[in-house]
Order: sequence, then C-alpha cells, then structure tokens
Amino acid sequence: MTLQECYAAMGGNYEEVLGRLRSERLIQKFVLKFVDDGSYQLLVDSMASQNYEDAFRAAHTIKGVCQNLGLTRLLDSSSQLSEALRHGYTPEADSLAERVGRDYQETIGAIRAFQSSTGA
Amino acid sequence: MNNNKKPLRFLTVSLIAVSLLCVCLFSFLAFYMNRRSGETISNVGQVYMSGMSQQISKHFETTMGLRLNQVEALVETNLFDGRNWEDLADDLEYGARARGFEHLALYSTDGTFETLYGNDLTVTDPEPFLASLNAGDKKIAVGSDAGGNRLVLMGVSSTYPMRGGKTCTALVAALPVDYISDTLSLDDEDSLMYSHIIRRDGSFVIRGGDAFRDSYFDRIAAIYDELGGTGAQRYIQELQDAMDTGEDYSTVLQIGQERRHLLCTRLAYSEWYLVVILPYGTLDAEINSLSRQWSLLAVIGCALVMAALLLVFFRYIQITRQQMAELEQARQEAISANKAKSEFLSNMSHDIRTPMNAIVGMTAIATANIDNQQQVQHCLKKIALSSKHLLNLINDVLDMSKIESGKMTLNIDQVSLREMMDGIVNIVQPQVRAKQQQFDIFIHDILAENVCCDSVRLNQVVLNLLSNAVKFTPVEGSIQISLYQEASPKGEEYIRTHLKVKDNGIGMSPEFQAKIFDSFSREDSRRVQRTEGTGLGMAITKFIVDAMGGTIQLHSEQGQGSEFHVTLDLEKSTVQEVDMVLPAWNMLVVDDDRELCESTVASLKSIGLQAEWTLDGESAVRMAEERFRRHDGYHVILLDWKLPGMDGIETARELRRRLGEDIPILLISAYDWGDIETEARSAGINGFISKPLFKSTLFYGLRPFVGADTAALEKLSEEHEADFTGRRILLAEDNELNWEIANELLSELGLELDWAENGKICVEKFSAAAPGWYDAILMDLRMPIMTGYEATRAIRALDRPDASLPIIAMTADAFSEDIQRCLDAGMNAHISKPIDLREVSRLLEKYLQP
Repeated sequence: MTLQECYAAMGGNYEEVLGRLRSERLIQKFVLKFVDDGSYQLLVDSMASQNYEDAFRAAHTIKGVCQNLGLTRLLDSSSQLSEALRHGYTPEADSLAERVGRDYQETIGAIRAFQSSTGA
Repeated sequence: MNNNKKPLRFLTVSLIAVSLLCVCLFSFLAFYMNRRSGETISNVGQVYMSGMSQQISKHFETTMGLRLNQVEALVETNLFDGRNWEDLADDLEYGARARGFEHLALYSTDGTFETLYGNDLTVTDPEPFLASLNAGDKKIAVGSDAGGNRLVLMGVSSTYPMRGGKTCTALVAALPVDYISDTLSLDDEDSLMYSHIIRRDGSFVIRGGDAFRDSYFDRIAAIYDELGGTGAQRYIQELQDAMDTGEDYSTVLQIGQERRHLLCTRLAYSEWYLVVILPYGTLDAEINSLSRQWSLLAVIGCALVMAALLLVFFRYIQITRQQMAELEQARQEAISANKAKSEFLSNMSHDIRTPMNAIVGMTAIATANIDNQQQVQHCLKKIALSSKHLLNLINDVLDMSKIESGKMTLNIDQVSLREMMDGIVNIVQPQVRAKQQQFDIFIHDILAENVCCDSVRLNQVVLNLLSNAVKFTPVEGSIQISLYQEASPKGEEYIRTHLKVKDNGIGMSPEFQAKIFDSFSREDSRRVQRTEGTGLGMAITKFIVDAMGGTIQLHSEQGQGSEFHVTLDLEKSTVQEVDMVLPAWNMLVVDDDRELCESTVASLKSIGLQAEWTLDGESAVRMAEERFRRHDGYHVILLDWKLPGMDGIETARELRRRLGEDIPILLISAYDWGDIETEARSAGINGFISKPLFKSTLFYGLRPFVGADTAALEKLSEEHEADFTGRRILLAEDNELNWEIANELLSELGLELDWAENGKICVEKFSAAAPGWYDAILMDLRMPIMTGYEATRAIRALDRPDASLPIIAMTADAFSEDIQRCLDAGMNAHISKPIDLREVSRLLEKYLQP
C-alpha cells in the first residue's frame, strides 16, 4: 500500500498536503504519528463526561491536525462537530460525534494498514 | 426679525448711556481738577506770601533796630556832661559819619532841626514822629533834605544843648530812603511780588512796582477802574479796619479777570505798613495752560473710550446679525428637510401600501382558491415578488436612517476588485438578460487589483448604479461599466480608481439631476411612477462615496441616457499580490474592443506572456494559420464570444478545422458561460474566462493550461525563500502533532522554534527568556489552561522592552470576528491553518525586524 492509496482510503487530499509539506517522507512521518495523537481520546472522554468545553477543544484540535495533514473527510466531520459545540452543547453534537468516531476509525484503520505494509 | 430689534434697542440705549456717563465723568474730572489747582495755587500763594511778608517785616525790624541802636550808641558814648559842646559835636559827627549816616541833626521838642552836618532836614509827617520822640521812644520817619531827596530819619531821645535855647528832644540821623528799599529788596526785578510801605492814611512811604500815586488807596481804586473791577472801596475799608486794629490783613483781590493777592502787616519802630502784592497773572497763565492741557486730555480720553465703545458695539451688532442670519438659514434648512421627510413619509406609505395591498389581495385570492393549485402558485409568485420589493424598500429606509443618524461606518478591509466585479457581473447578468440589454465591461489600466475598502458598501454603490441603469434603460438598450485606475494625487499608497456606469436609457431632466443625490426625492414623472424604489438609492450611494472620500459625477440627457462617474482614492492593499508568472507563451487576443485588447495584452505581458491582438474572427483565423505554418503557432488563443461578423464560436470552429486540436482556445465573455457551454465545447473551445479581465483573472484562467501547476508554485516558494537563519520563534500549540508539523516546516526557513504547550507556558517561557531572545510568537488560539487571547494580553502587559514583539495568531477557523478578536487582544496578524509556508514567510518578513 502506497501513501497515495492510504490517503485515498482515508478520504484525504494527498496532492494538497504534498504541495504544503513537499516531501513524502514528512507526510509519512506525521501521518504515522497521527495514530498516537490523544485528541480523539480526549473527545471521547469529555463527551462521555459531558464536559463539552473540552470536547469542543478536542474536536477543534482534531480539525487542526486534519487541516495540517489534509485528512479531508475527518476534517469535514470534526469541524462540523466543533461548530456544534462552539457555544456549548447542541442536540446534533451526539450524532456528529458518532460520525467523527466512524471517520476516525476508518482513518486510523487505513494508517495501520499502510503502516503494516511498509513494515514500519 | 422682531426678536432682533429688542437686543438692538437695548444695546443702543446702553451705548448712549455709557457714552453720556463717559462724557460727564471726564467733564467733571476736568472741571474739578481745574478748580482744585486754582485753589491749590491760592493756598500756596497765601503761604508763600505770609512767609515773605513776615520775612520782610522781620528784616525791616532788624535793620532798623540796628540803625537805631547805632544812633543810640552814638548818644550814649557822647553824653553831654559839661564837655565842650564843640568837641562833642565833632565826636558825634565823626561817629555818625563812621556809621554811614548822611545827615545828623538835633531835634527840638517843638519840631525844629539843628543840623550837625549834611543838609537841613524836614519831616514829611512830623506829628507822630515828634510825639514818640518827646515820649522818649526811638522812632523812624521819612523826611527830605533841602535838595528834596527823600530820607529815612532815625530819632533817639537825647539831651543836647541847642541853639536859640530850644530844648533838644532827640538826635536824628538820616539815610537815603533807598536804603530801606535796597535792604528789604522791595524792588527785586526777579520776584513775582512787589511791595509798598504805606502809612495808615494810605499815603506811600516807599513805592514799589510801578506805583506813582500818592495814596495806596487811590491806587487800588484807580486799578479797579482801569481793569473794570468793582468793590475797591470794600477792600480799602477792610484794609483800613485791619490797620486800625493792628492786625495783619490778607485777601485776594479780584480785579476784573485778574487776581492779586494782597497782604498787609505793620512794621516796627514806625507808623508804617508793609503791603505785599502777588499778582496771579503769571501763575494764572500757568494754571490756565495746565487746565487747558487737562481739558484737552480729558476730551481725547473721552473720545478714545467712546470710539472703543462704538467699535465694540458695531462689531457686536455685526456678529449678532451674522448669527441671526445663520440661525435663520439653519431654521429654513430644518424646515425644508422636515418637509422633505414628511413628503417622503407619505410617498413611502404609498409605496409600502402598494406591495402590501398586492400581498394581502393575493393572499385572499389564494385562500379563496386553495384547491386550484395553479392559481395558488400564481398568487404565491406575486406575493414573493411583492415581498421582495417591500424588503428592498425597507432595507433602503433602514440604510438611510443609519446614515441620517450617523451610524453608518465603513468597514475597511482588503478587497479584490476582480472578485468584486465578478460578483457584480453575476448578480446583474440575469437582469440584463431579462431585458435583452447589451452589457459591456471595460477594464483597463488596473494598477492595483487589491485595495482597502468597504467591500459591502462598494458593492452596494456599483450595484445601485448598475441596477438603476438596467431599470431605466429600455429593452435591448445598452449598458456599460468601465473600471480603470491611475496614480492618485494622495500619494504612493493610494490608487485613483474610476468607475463609470453608462446607459442609453431614458436619462434625467436637469431639474432632477440637481437634486438626485438629495435624500427622499424621486423623479416625479409619469414614466417613472411605474418604476419601483424609494428614491433613497442615489442618496445612499452618494453618502457612501462621500464617506469613502470620493466623488460622484453625473452626465445625463433626457432620452439619451445617463453616465455616472465615481472616482475613489483607495489605499493599495498591503497584501502582496502573489507573483503571477506563466511560461513565455505566444498568445492571440481577439475582441472587437480595441481598448480591451490593448489592456489585456498589457496584463498578459505583466505575467510573462507575449500576446498579439486583433479585432475580428476572420483576421484572427488568418493570423493563427500564418504562424501555425511557420511552426511558431500561438500557445493559447483568447476569443470574445460576441464578435462582428464571425462570432467567437464560429471562429473557434474554423480554428480547430485549420489548426487541429492541440492549441487551447478560451472564450472570454461577460455573459454566463452556462448558457453557451455545450455549444462552445462542441466547437472545440477548451475553457472560459469571464470578463472583467483582471491580471489575476487571466492568471488563474490560464494556469490550468500550464500543465505543471506545481512547477510554478515551487518557483514561487523559491522566490520567497527568505533567510530567517538564527531567528527564534516561540510557538504556542497544544497539540504535539501540529507542533511537530509546524516545527518541521518552519525549520526549513532557518527558524529556531521553541514549543509552549499552552498559553500559560508560553507566557512563562517568554518571561524567562532574555529580552530580545524571541523574535516573534506564533500563537494557537484554542489551548487548555490559557487561551491564545489571554496569553497575548498577558505578554503585552509585561514590563519588558520586547513586550511588543510580533504575535501572529494561528486559527483553524477564519471567522472574521475571530480575526477581530485577535487584533483586539493585541496580536499583529493571523494565519489560518493549515500552516502555509509562504504565508508564514510573508508575514514574518513583514513583521520581523531586519
């Protein structure tokens, strides 16, 4: 599995991120690090404990990371979630959080697959 | 003007009163001072004279006493003690001569003289003299010798033998009468005063001054007569009374115009009186000249004060009149504005009622025909139309009320004229198409595409002008909008931008042109009645243009059309335009407008392209074919859609037939691409660039055909590869991954980065570092513990020389209020995530100190 294929699987924009980061090596390095990023766990935990302020910040952080890495699909859902939580809890936040969860799992899945194929 | 008169009358009266007061005061002062100085002079004269007369009489007493003593001593040293009389007489004569007496005689009890030496003597008034001597006193008298010379006689009682058996009563020595007047300086030429010595009956003993009469009393009477005075007798009487009682007499004689001070005092050893006279003539002349000066000064002072008063008064009246006039003008303006507003209100009510009636009516019809779907649809369409109209009306009124209350302000932001024109063309196109009007856009000489302006308001202006043009231009009329720029007289940072909207519609009457920009007016003629609008649009437009510091001009003729010309001096945007460079292609521009061709060719040249132009399709095909045969064909051809003769699509078809499929042919048009896309694609046209043709429009329109898009980008980044080696940046970012990415990217610029996990750590790290250690801070906004806003405020509040270092926000969501909040918190700029190296590099170049 190449990095491009990985991006296709994640619903990301490889061209765009290459334009910015300018090296496949860098993209690979950061994408692999995304797996260890704790923001998603913070989102899940704070949603569960109904701490929506932290949840907003977590969603916002995920959004920022996705912007940096060109992970378009997850960026889309996480930014919607952060808008839903910007001024506190709104009813659509729960379903959006679920969507973020699905997108996140897909993204992580693709990265893991890529990771194992490169043997890293 | 009635209320004008009251203060005026008050002012006049007070002016007169103050003037009168002034005159009175000065007159009184002059009069009083004159009198006072006269009195003072009298007093001084009195004091001076009494001093003088006292001195004179004292002097007289001393001198005469001395002389008498000499005679007495003569008598005592030569007592007749039986000595030989002849010897004694010789001794007496010797002693008297030695003491300077001119005559010496013995005086008998019956008043006859026996001369010892000198001439024979006679006493002028012998009785009192003889009586005193007989009584054993010392006495002085006046007499004369045989030669008629007047003498002063000094008699001292003595007993000497006399010839003829007469009894001797006294020894009399004589001196010339001048001796007295010399001794007493009675005739001092330098003195103002002169003196006489008189007897009690007024006869002169010694005359002073120019007196020649025998009696002083006669003299007074004569002087009075001479000078026309009266009351001489009274003074004489008073003088005599004073003499009788032996008192000093002092008075001021008023003789006609002249005043003389007279003082009379008795002299010792005699029956004489000293009369001292001080004529005030000279003094009075002095006093008069003084008082004349006084009066003159008073008059001048009075005149000056009055002149000043008058000046103030007239100036005040002038100012008051002016203020009154201004007030009156303001009142008139307020009245007419009020009238315009009431008219406007009634018009507005009518204007609002019309669509409201339609809405109400249509709603009723729709309710009545609720089952007739077609009817309901028709009604709803009408209702929607009327509502929209109503909304426009209300929006205008709201805008106007904002303007009227001064609440409309400009939000200056960076505006791309290209984007603005694109947007406007998109909005206007449907309207133009609906009226089948010809719509042309001319853009040339654009020197700065990005300017600082309130985009919303600028849009409003252009849209207003354009929609008016569409509204007042009949079907199949023509509408033109031109945009061009030139250097601004306001300076390098500004660019003068001209915007012209021209139509060949119904035009305007000169009367209406005069008030088109006034609030609440609308051309009141029948053909406009049907046209919707509040009449506020142009007033709003004018206000916005004024607020932007620009001008708007109007040329219009009824039946010919109108042209609005807006001139704005806009600040050039500080945003650097992306360097737009394309490969050095050869290009052909085909358009029937020469200006557009030339301007487009110039724009193309500025982005690195070579271009030729032509005005019609036929020549375009010929030129392209010619170069194609020379194997130096055009790389891209830009074709206008509407061309005279062969139109753009036909020309494209012809080009494809002759040149093959390789050369990109692009259509340029102000019309909507969607309508003709299918036809154009089938004719072999590869793409579309919408007019207006800005430099950036051309660049972005042509770039897809470069093939290697990234190549150009790389070129760009190389050009921006500024050297930041050794610069230290503190980066606040809560997410590690984001930090690593940023670190990785920014390190390539030579920057050294330090990571702060949140705002608090950021502030701490900054505080702990030596001043000047960090060159800038990149600040994420959403961080736990302390947000970027708070951290920025905290840093700005620090008491450090570098507390004002550049702080650039990094935001994941670029809402305008967030950006405003960043600036409010004290940050210098913001960049949106994801981090773009060029953007960061551009901002750092701008904010880092060299």
